[in-house]
Amino acid sequence: MNRYLSRHIAAGLAGLFLLASAASHVAAQTRVSIGVTETIETHNPYGDSVSLLYGIWSEITGPFCTYNYEKGDFEGRLADRWKVQNPTTWLFYLNQNYKFNDGTPVTSDDVVHSMMTRVINDPQSKQKASVAGPIVKAEAVDKYTVKFTTDQPAAPLLGFVCDRLIVTSKAAYDKYGKEAADKEHMMGGGPYRLKDLIPGQRMVIAKRPDHPEAKKNPDAPDEVVYRVMRETEQRVAALLNGEIQIAQFIPPHLRQRVEKSPNLKIVGTDSVEIMFLAMQPKPPFDKKEVRQAVCHAINRDQIISTLLEGFASRLDGPIGPGQYGYDPNLKPKMNYDPEKSKKLLAQAGYPNGVDVQLQTPVGRYTLDKQLTEAMIPMLNAAGFRARLLTPEWPTLWANVQKGTVPFYYMGRGSVQDPSAALHQYFYTGETPRIGYSNPKLDSLLDKEQAEFDPKKRKQYLSQAMSILTEDAPACFLWRHKLLWGLNNRVDYKPLPDAHIFAMDIKTK
Amino acid sequence: MTSYLTQRALGTIPVLLLISLVVFLLIHAAPGDPTLMLLGEETNAAEVAKAKARWGLDRPLPIQYLRFITSAVTGDFGKSFKYAEPVSSVIKTRLPATIELAIVSIIIATLLAIPLGVWAGSKPNSWIDNLGTSFGLFGISMPSFWLGIMLILVLAGILNILPTSGRSTYGVAGPEITGFYLLDSIMQKNSQAAWDALTHIFMPALALGMNMLGILMRVTRSAVLEVMNEEYVVAARAKGLAEKNVVWRHVTSNALIPVITVVGLELGTLLSGSIIVETVFAWPGSGSLLITALNARDYPLVTGLVMTYTVAFVIINLIIDGLYAVVDPRIRY
Repeated sequence: MNRYLSRHIAAGLAGLFLLASAASHVAAQTRVSIGVTETIETHNPYGDSVSLLYGIWSEITGPFCTYNYEKGDFEGRLADRWKVQNPTTWLFYLNQNYKFNDGTPVTSDDVVHSMMTRVINDPQSKQKASVAGPIVKAEAVDKYTVKFTTDQPAAPLLGFVCDRLIVTSKAAYDKYGKEAADKEHMMGGGPYRLKDLIPGQRMVIAKRPDHPEAKKNPDAPDEVVYRVMRETEQRVAALLNGEIQIAQFIPPHLRQRVEKSPNLKIVGTDSVEIMFLAMQPKPPFDKKEVRQAVCHAINRDQIISTLLEGFASRLDGPIGPGQYGYDPNLKPKMNYDPEKSKKLLAQAGYPNGVDVQLQTPVGRYTLDKQLTEAMIPMLNAAGFRARLLTPEWPTLWANVQKGTVPFYYMGRGSVQDPSAALHQYFYTGETPRIGYSNPKLDSLLDKEQAEFDPKKRKQYLSQAMSILTEDAPACFLWRHKLLWGLNNRVDYKPLPDAHIFAMDIKTK
Repeated sequence: MTSYLTQRALGTIPVLLLISLVVFLLIHAAPGDPTLMLLGEETNAAEVAKAKARWGLDRPLPIQYLRFITSAVTGDFGKSFKYAEPVSSVIKTRLPATIELAIVSIIIATLLAIPLGVWAGSKPNSWIDNLGTSFGLFGISMPSFWLGIMLILVLAGILNILPTSGRSTYGVAGPEITGFYLLDSIMQKNSQAAWDALTHIFMPALALGMNMLGILMRVTRSAVLEVMNEEYVVAARAKGLAEKNVVWRHVTSNALIPVITVVGLELGTLLSGSIIVETVFAWPGSGSLLITALNARDYPLVTGLVMTYTVAFVIINLIIDGLYAVVDPRIRY
């Protein structure tokens, strides 16, 4: 009888224990809300080309491969590994454990469909230039091997496809059609699935616990809500009142309000966005001495320590530490020296100074207007007669792209590997943004792009960057330190490219 | 009245045509190029040329306008460059949020402004009048974007009694029926969702309606002041009616006509004000959509939105004309 009773008590306790564990499992559902600055406007994963959305969609559909900032190199995800077959042909081998939400495997047909049908050939795609780049053809070699063919040797190819190529299901596209596949049947092979998207308001993703990446990161939140909050005050207030647990981009002057709260903390990371002053080689900037005079006139250290409160790192060349090809010994260094600026201006034929108009966007980059306002007296003290113009962004950007702005403050994001950015701004005829031309630089950039030995490639890049620093078609200023506000119950190390991968978030 | 309203409606056709032309020309004259804004930073000349051909931007401007206007008369404003969807369906998804916001703003503004105005007007030069007048001035002078940020700072950031932004908390609202969250939650008998929608809409509606509140309060006050000296009011008092009855039955009902006119005029201002307020509060309505469209130089969407606002403004004014006859039975068209 006793044995009978104790067996029943034991069975009852076991049942209670199971119920309790099930209840605690339900209670353990974690949700993290993130206040983001970019808008989320469309269900079409290929319909926008912004850093935030590349990150979120990559989490839903891949990512194809990713850049590991700690290792300073690319590493596999959906594309497990890759091989350069010849200078214009790359083979990518897919991880066979990646499955779509419906359980079907992600195959090379899906990658080919995504690259050719959605990125390259779809007129609604906004990603052709930034994701396909030099790729002209994608083919399936077998079920799990994809071949990308480029129009010319492209050593920096991974910079285009990693963290950017969004791989969606070909079967869903064929079955439901493009719009319904995107809106109602979004199939991804990533560790999260799309749960809700209200354009202009929010996007919600939910973890797929059975995914190989999710198994590796059990502390990653079960749900992540990305809320559009473009105003800084809004993000800070929402962080303070617990509406969100992570706030993107807290400007330095609001940092203390966040830090004062015992429940919140600030974490920072050096952005890969490089900030610079661009100068078109038209009078007076057609003379190298004038461009160099601008670079020597700007006291970057003072601006960083005062206006930016130390939350930026000075650039002594196009890129800084952590970016591919960074050379700490790059020469020359354009140190602050207003007397030298005056001498250079005199050498250039402007002993009595020269009129220049600096144009800047307003509100696009951290304290852009305030920083350029601080540059004006510095330029004037060095012999320029500088004026600041602040056109609205669409106007400024269109004019920059047409090559009609002689002198402007600008940022170039996503510079993990500087090749694309250097080509875009400084290679002869590539874009009219600066209109600079130097055959020696072109030759070095051609060589680096065709060189698959990393050591040699870095040497070419270093030589090219040295020429740029000396010839000064742009003055390289700083990289902002991006500040993020975090609730203490969340651990997250922000990435320099501002991508947000939910898998990197840990909830306590 | 029907023939009068039909006449008025027909009279708006040239107005709409003229506005469409002006908006079309202005947006095309504005510096900036949609292809450069929308194709991404790493685009090239060939891609730009293709996009221009696809969007019809390579054709002469008069041809572009003719194509636009011939489609627009059937309600087809073309396809949005940015969203690659018909402009009308993009607007349709965002419009309920703006209409809901505008309605709640009007309710807040009229519910506060009319009693305040009547109260102030019925006791001229008293402390109540001075307080009401100062409040009205505050409402008129306060820029909505600044007031919005202050409300966020105080009510959401410091007091933590309202959410900072958005239309709803994720996971609270049920499925969408009409697109009006308050109405949907009432239809679904979901009190939690209704409360959530109310807490989200209160701050943007107050920021948006504050200016209207100030104007309405002042107009009501002066209308009441004017009516207070009318002979029939003196007669009502002479009959021994209580002052409360005199003010609310005889004065207020007669003072409402100019107030209705101002409500009608201010509704247009409310729609344009929503552009700023929606941006400040991340309210996903047509106002914030217009900002996105302008920044992207999405010509069809900008033109479509402005035309929608114009039509809304015209319809509101027609309704107001009709309301005069309801409020004042002496008015006949």
